[in-house]
Amino acid sequence: MSVYPRSSEPFLFVHKEPVQGQCPECGSYNLRRYPVLSEGGWWLVTKCQDCLFSLERERWGRLGSIQLLSETL
Amino acid sequence: MVRVEPPVLIKDLDEDAFRARYQCDRFTATVLSSRLRYIVQHMCTGLLTNAFSVILRDWYDFASTIAGPPELDYPTPAVSNSLVLFLGTMTDAVRNAVEEFGPQNLQPGDVLMCNDPYRIGTHVNDVCFIRPVFFEGRLVGFVNLQAHMLDMGGVVPAGFSGTKRNVYENGLVIGPQLLYHDDRPVKSAWSLIFDNARFGNLLLPDIKTIYQNLRLGENLLLETIQRYGVESYLGAVRYACDLSAETMRQALARLPDGEFEGEDFIDCDGVDDSEEYHVKVKVRIRGDRAEVDLSGSSRQARTSINGGWLDAKTAVAVALKYLLDPRSPFTSGTLRNVDIVLPEGTFFSAMPPDGAIFLYWESTQPLLLAIFRALKEALGPNAVGGDYCSLNIHNANGVRNGVPWVTMAQCGGEHGPWGATKDGDADSYMVFYLANNLDPATEAIEADFPCVVLRKEYATDTAGAGRHRGGAAVVKDTLWLTEAEHYSMPLHTKAPSGFGVYGGKDGAVGAVWVWEPEAYEQVQQAGLVGFDEAVYRQATPVAGVLNPESHTLDRQGRYFHFARVPIWRTRPRTMFRYLTNGGGGWGNPLERPPERVLRDVRDEYISIETARELYGVVIQGDPQHDPEGLQIDYEATQALRNAAASQRH
Ligand SMILES: [Zn+2]
Repeated sequence: MSVYPRSSEPFLFVHKEPVQGQCPECGSYNLRRYPVLSEGGWWLVTKCQDCLFSLERERWGRLGSIQLLSETL
Repeated sequence: MVRVEPPVLIKDLDEDAFRARYQCDRFTATVLSSRLRYIVQHMCTGLLTNAFSVILRDWYDFASTIAGPPELDYPTPAVSNSLVLFLGTMTDAVRNAVEEFGPQNLQPGDVLMCNDPYRIGTHVNDVCFIRPVFFEGRLVGFVNLQAHMLDMGGVVPAGFSGTKRNVYENGLVIGPQLLYHDDRPVKSAWSLIFDNARFGNLLLPDIKTIYQNLRLGENLLLETIQRYGVESYLGAVRYACDLSAETMRQALARLPDGEFEGEDFIDCDGVDDSEEYHVKVKVRIRGDRAEVDLSGSSRQARTSINGGWLDAKTAVAVALKYLLDPRSPFTSGTLRNVDIVLPEGTFFSAMPPDGAIFLYWESTQPLLLAIFRALKEALGPNAVGGDYCSLNIHNANGVRNGVPWVTMAQCGGEHGPWGATKDGDADSYMVFYLANNLDPATEAIEADFPCVVLRKEYATDTAGAGRHRGGAAVVKDTLWLTEAEHYSMPLHTKAPSGFGVYGGKDGAVGAVWVWEPEAYEQVQQAGLVGFDEAVYRQATPVAGVLNPESHTLDRQGRYFHFARVPIWRTRPRTMFRYLTNGGGGWGNPLERPPERVLRDVRDEYISIETARELYGVVIQGDPQHDPEGLQIDYEATQALRNAAASQRH
């Protein structure tokens, strides 16, 4: 197992990266890209922040960002 | 802009459309999805009635699921009616273990096992056993049992403690590997367990029983497929998951759009009380979609009170199921319209190797309660009060007549009250919302371990007041007859967990005390220890917010850190007392019928003083010595309630 140190910040946040484009469902320009956990595990989604419509959903790491050292063999 | 039409409901599909989607008729799909639930229940019954270790036999600390094949992405159409904590994690557990091992490497007669919290959730003692099922050479699914092993090595016998600092102290970690191959035991895998875990003589027969129940599940599944055909079976797997996805989607759509925020916290970790651990949740509802954002929550703890990312996922799914969609079965489809925004490295998404995970439910139960709190206004009368939250788990070990013993989750505050709902008063002796287990019998506890359970009863004036009363806190006293080592783990004593809803009041907070042998002899009367201040003065606080002099509950008092003594090494005739938190009330207590308040006084759920102060009901008499002679003063009650009501407005 790789090593993930404890954060020096007391509270943690998911960074939602702004993305160019328009929501096909509600017309909003407020689109963001970030990992979510749902049916099927972790997904990297591009999502409308107004109506929660997903423009894109691609598989993220099976264990989130945890990497198994053995996978590097 | 595109207008997205809502999908046609499954019940509105005509026969042809149904068959085209699920490769069988509606009746067959229904029969098969019930049949899958029957199979997992049968597997559980087989394990329950044959297990040797107390945690399986007396606690039901295991669960069973069926998973569909890799090409369907391992859907879980059926879960057992048992330990809820496992039901959410097992879908991902099977997927993650099988994908890492490689589905192409599995053969008929294999059993795969894995116990790593960062891969499959929960803690190392919970080993997930996975049996691939092949029909005519094709991998068509998996039958699975995840069960708590009495011990998995590490520095604490039985593992339960909030003081372990990393994965190396925590216990043996097993990556996905074969336990059986071609229906023969893989000796190296068994040795890995026996060489690292205590109580191998109990683990061996229990794991063999698990294997036999996997075979039972496999046989039942194969008979089913033989009879109905593999395409019908696979269609029914999808049908079961689609159905619970659909009922959750409809339930979300019934909520108003908006953002709903909630919070809860646990006292501290096992190092010291310098840092509380807070869950922050924002539930965003837009039509039939939800996003549950946990940003702003606390970083991981320094000791083994943490939970993992799959435990957080389970808590979200179960919270939404309880509140919004309790009537359809729980499947992997439940979260289809829900995205969880989960920062990694929090105390419910801890990371290796220093984010040690053991008391994972202590972190995820506050997460569930934070969601209950977030949605309580939006739900109005459908809101559900908070429960006692912390399992207050007690783990002890010692040696009697040269034979080592270990008890876990039997002599602490593991059972307690729930919160009230619109349907009625809450039960007082339950397992917290994220579990669903048995209560170990006192006779079995006293037969197996050198202790006497002196009290196991409800505490007066601890239940959250309401038109429907919350459950009362449970007080449990245990006298230990020989020398022993104890680990005590109450984690939610600084603030009530049993919050009231819809005008109901909060339940009380609990605490834990120990009376050393001299103190016990001094305060006991006919063996029992009372509840007076003089009695508590002789006690040593284990945890809770207490008056520093009298050691009685005092919200203005001082917090006693649960792990300032990491291991309580006690002499014979030491007594521990656990008092759980009380459950939250539902509705305005002034609207509770006076006759029901009278009954609560008679049954000592509440005192005459509380009846007057919180319920506005005036009762005369002596509940201790003449319970049937108690009487309501209706006139005084009406006056008191009128005055209270006018004060409110
Ligand atoms: Zn939109």
